[in-house]
Amino acid sequence: MRTTRRVFLKSAATVAAAGVVAPSIIRPASAQGGTVRIGMVLPVTGPGADAGRFALNGAKIALEAVNKAGGVLGKPMELVTEDDQTTNPGAVLAFSKLASQPDLVAFLGSIRSTQNHAMAPDILKTGKPVAFGGTDPVLTQLGNPWLFRFRPNDSFSARVIAEYGVSTLAKKKWAIIHSTDAFGTSGAKALTEALGKAGATVALDQGYTNQSQDFTPVVLAIRQSGADVIGSYFTFENDLGIFARQLRQLGVQAPWVGSASIVNVTALKLAGPSLYNTYGVADYAEESSDAARNFGKAYRAVMKLAPDNQSSWTFDAVTVLAKAINAAGKTDPKAIREALLAIRGHEGAEGTYNFDQNGDGLHGYNVVRNDKGNIVFDKRIDFYKA
Amino acid sequence: MDLILQLLFTGIGIGAVYALVALGFVLIFRATNVVNFAQGEFSMVAAFLMVVFAVDLQWPYWLSFLLAIGGMALLGALFNLGVYYPLRHRTYLPVIISTIGASIFLANTTLALYGPQPQVLPPVFETQGFLVGPVFLDTQYLLIIAVTAVLVAFQYWFFEHTLIGKKLQATSQDKEMAALLGIPVAGMIMLTFVYSAVLGGIAGILVAPVLFVSIQMGATIALKAFAATIIGGFGDVTGAIIGGLALGIIETFGAAYISVPYKDAFAFIVLVAFLALRPQGIFGERIAEKA
Amino acid sequence: MTGSPRPVAADPVSAPRSPARGFPLGTLAYAALVAVAVFLAATTPFSGYVLNILMQAATYAIAVIGLTVVLGLCGQINLAQAAFFGIGAYAVGLGTVDLGISFWLCLPIGLVLALILGAVLGASTLRLGGHYLAMVTISFQQILTLIMINWIPVTHGPDGVPNIKRPGLFTDGQSYLALCVLVLAAVAYAVWRMPKTRLGRAMRAVRDNELAAGVTGIDIYRTKVMAFAIGALLAGLGGGLFAGSFTYISPDQFSFAESVVFLTMALLGGVGSPVGAVIGTGLLILIPEWLRFLKEIPGLYLAIYGLAVILIVVFMPEGIWGFLGDQVKRLRPRKAAPRAQDLTLTQDAATAAPVLEVEGLSKHFGGLKAVDEVSFTVTRGGIHALIGPNGSGKTTTLNVLSGLYTPTGGRLRLNGRDITRFAPHQRAGSGLGRTFQNIRLFRSMSALENVVIGAERPGNGIVAHDRASLEARARAALAFVGLEARADEPISSFSYGHQRLVEIARALAGNPVLLLLDEPAAGLNSSEKVALTALLRRMAAKGLTILIIDHDMTLVSDVASHITVLNFGRRIADGVTATVLREPAVIEAYLGQESTEGPGAGLKTDLAPA
Repeated sequence: MRTTRRVFLKSAATVAAAGVVAPSIIRPASAQGGTVRIGMVLPVTGPGADAGRFALNGAKIALEAVNKAGGVLGKPMELVTEDDQTTNPGAVLAFSKLASQPDLVAFLGSIRSTQNHAMAPDILKTGKPVAFGGTDPVLTQLGNPWLFRFRPNDSFSARVIAEYGVSTLAKKKWAIIHSTDAFGTSGAKALTEALGKAGATVALDQGYTNQSQDFTPVVLAIRQSGADVIGSYFTFENDLGIFARQLRQLGVQAPWVGSASIVNVTALKLAGPSLYNTYGVADYAEESSDAARNFGKAYRAVMKLAPDNQSSWTFDAVTVLAKAINAAGKTDPKAIREALLAIRGHEGAEGTYNFDQNGDGLHGYNVVRNDKGNIVFDKRIDFYKA
Repeated sequence: MDLILQLLFTGIGIGAVYALVALGFVLIFRATNVVNFAQGEFSMVAAFLMVVFAVDLQWPYWLSFLLAIGGMALLGALFNLGVYYPLRHRTYLPVIISTIGASIFLANTTLALYGPQPQVLPPVFETQGFLVGPVFLDTQYLLIIAVTAVLVAFQYWFFEHTLIGKKLQATSQDKEMAALLGIPVAGMIMLTFVYSAVLGGIAGILVAPVLFVSIQMGATIALKAFAATIIGGFGDVTGAIIGGLALGIIETFGAAYISVPYKDAFAFIVLVAFLALRPQGIFGERIAEKA
Repeated sequence: MTGSPRPVAADPVSAPRSPARGFPLGTLAYAALVAVAVFLAATTPFSGYVLNILMQAATYAIAVIGLTVVLGLCGQINLAQAAFFGIGAYAVGLGTVDLGISFWLCLPIGLVLALILGAVLGASTLRLGGHYLAMVTISFQQILTLIMINWIPVTHGPDGVPNIKRPGLFTDGQSYLALCVLVLAAVAYAVWRMPKTRLGRAMRAVRDNELAAGVTGIDIYRTKVMAFAIGALLAGLGGGLFAGSFTYISPDQFSFAESVVFLTMALLGGVGSPVGAVIGTGLLILIPEWLRFLKEIPGLYLAIYGLAVILIVVFMPEGIWGFLGDQVKRLRPRKAAPRAQDLTLTQDAATAAPVLEVEGLSKHFGGLKAVDEVSFTVTRGGIHALIGPNGSGKTTTLNVLSGLYTPTGGRLRLNGRDITRFAPHQRAGSGLGRTFQNIRLFRSMSALENVVIGAERPGNGIVAHDRASLEARARAALAFVGLEARADEPISSFSYGHQRLVEIARALAGNPVLLLLDEPAAGLNSSEKVALTALLRRMAAKGLTILIIDHDMTLVSDVASHITVLNFGRRIADGVTATVLREPAVIEAYLGQESTEGPGAGLKTDLAPA
């Protein structure tokens, strides 16, 4: 026992020492001036690890394209990542760790709104542009000049869901199902408003907490409410999958228009036939434009998997950041910010980027339909007025 | 009425899952006086093993199942040797921390080995379910309920009517006395861990087609199963079953008639009410130290 | 604390008045160290990342020190520490953001809220103890998390509360970090000193042995609730500062998983001391950060972290500080102890009334009548023995007398006062002392500390509650049983026989009106028995009234002047020793007992009166 303990302590000490030393070994290697470096906060562990992998792949494809086309300011561009563990404190630590490296010129934030909220004070302090994918409309109204959104916010998704359901599907009696997290509640609020303006009624507004194992009570409530169409904001795909299956099992056949997660790859795989003939408002739809098609092709070539919004926004963010830095001609944060705000008509995988003064790049959504597991582009509804 | 029946069926189905995992909690608790915080990870690991064997390698379902269960037995044994055995003479606190460490370790090792994608494990039966009157019966839930019933019956028979079961009981009641009687206590505890891992594994495999296979599935189920164990009492096996079913039914009806977002709170509110009003009532075990 | 002639005088939380020998030096050194740390925190130009880590570590450590109090000192598990942490954080967050109140007002509001909720939660469940406590705290944690998520109009829901204001002087990160470090240092100091205070000793006693704590006059329940409330208070304090450090809070930061993290931090570092809490917190925040360079493979670094947790627990079960602290303790020289005074035992010899009157006392366990309408009287002065064969109800009677069991029927009067419904500590407060057949000492303490707890008995009538007089009294009691020289040794180093003597000294130090001895000769060898007999005589000579239970008839007949005999829960004889031992019923009870067990060779000598 005594010897094993000593051996253990010794090796523990070695590990600890290695831990102290290791970052300092890594730092000089990364501090070369030969590249233009951008930081990226992404979930590598925790429930968002899956999404993190997609995000990283999108960014890497863009990075490769940028570097093939000559890089930025004549130097290759480089991506530095940190794990946010899918938690808010994790995101704050990951971001501040990146921000403490002075040679990073810009950052990719999170696709989760709450994490961006958590990082916002540090982002303001750091004073460098952060491209993010969270869709809570409030994020670009915080008065934080460094936040740039590379997905359309939920005030648009709600308007698109409402418009499509009310005008195209001609349904007026709605059931809204949403997660009670930041994303779900803000989406549901926006949808309720949009439906009110479109003259439709909300028969049921039902929240649920993430990672629910059962949706029977929710489905029965929908059945009883007599709603003839469902609008939804789901955060996690496994919740969406369970809900979809139980919805069909319990015989609810009302059309269903969901937020982007309803058409993402994981959801399609998990829910399978239960999602056939549903509609989704997707910021990314492969058939919506040439740029989207091209991204899809590149993504399939690398990943052997259908692309979705989790990778398309990071693809666009890296591409646009490179474009802006090149346009600015230097890596000064203020100059990059001005260049980003000046971007007009950039054809990205997610749509056409026109940044407004708040930092919102996109102003519309695609409506897509799930046709036996294939995502079919229906139409794009864009609210951007030049 | 059909609404109530439908909710009742779902409640019992979900409850049966909780009960199965809770059973694992109770067995280990009785044998070692420790709550195993890695119990949920047993379910997760087994579900991933099934995905590897039955989906990735396309082996027959029954073979995959046997292999997964065998794997769980091995994991249970390793768990005992690595996580519990070195701490067996300590109080319950270091052991709890050790199991917490094990749960972090298992979840993230699975993540490192298999990646973060949630997976689908096809259900055992082709038919999703059938309608009995207005009530939809999900075949997978029917299977879960049936397997739970069989396992409970088996457990009863095993503990009450076999010699090894009696030895296990003796060990859980008084280790010192059991050792004096010549019962190999360490072996009995080993057996308990193996059996608990297998039980947790079966629960994970059964529930996988319903809840999908993900790294998080263990933590989610275990927390509920833990609550079920609390309601039923850590003392005995029937408590776990009753607690699991009660929890499933309470939260399903609570969600339907009171609030969906607060669904997870009902179980705990009921639990606190019970503890405050009748700590000695439903819960079999009394806390009294002999002077 | 009823039965105490003076209401608990000193505020138990405050440190003892006399800063005894050598102590100010350590305090000064500590103060200097803190000053340096605060100065460094305020002036070193940290990067934002390091600043975030340090602020997180400092604020978490405060909450973890809360666990040192609840779990380390008092032995009560709390799996809702993150919930209390959250209460403090939300008080500051919502207060400064939504209500626009000053940080300095929000923080105390959060503390009060955490304290009240902690006390209420503790008060409603601490009687249950053990795993039930774990369950109730988990439930509280879950319910609070759901409220934070779903009560959107008040808590902002899952969005969390952004833009939390820091207090005026501390708006930049460095100075705020300095503030956090300062608070942490103060909290750590207070908790470091706590084990030596009256409350701290009571907590440790409750942790080590609840039954013994009760019979030495400690209000177990009140002590636990205090510990729980202090733990919650510290969590609230940490949380309030945390809200100011990250300036953004959301429900997932205060979930059950975080409570488990807090617990892991406490146990990993060593739950016995605030140093351990700080070490554990630092490590658990730093390890995953150190291992970040392994991030290429998702999950790998957290897997290693999990493995590290297991290894540390397996190889250092008392935590890292527990392990290091043991090494330090071995090096520390022992100080010379002051000479002990003579032990005084004051007895109310003025009244001739009986000390203890037992009337028709019964205790039934279900259908079993363990004690059945037993009556006897213990007169003042001298030794009264309660004997009977195995299973005759002696120990049950003693447990009913000291309040561990509630009687099914009958009355008890001590010094003429009805104590039938008193809790054990209240009986101790009225002057009842006792020892246990299977020795119940406070295992983590020195002999002296054990006896100091006895000396602290409320209502002991002769000892002032300051440290010097308590220790003097304890040394006197130890000297009386002949163990003065070993006063500062840990209890675990004593032989069985000596532990018995320490237990007796603990009871004597409390200056009891009546001392109950539960089989004091059990497990002693013959020379120890002779010494015990002499000790009992010396105690009786001081005028102390003793009620003794024992099997050893030689001992009993040697020392007792009066004997009550029980069999099958009923009194079968009562009277002067010599007479009682000749009664046929008594002989038969013993003969019957012995003859069923085997040849009763030793019986005659045992029964031979002195």
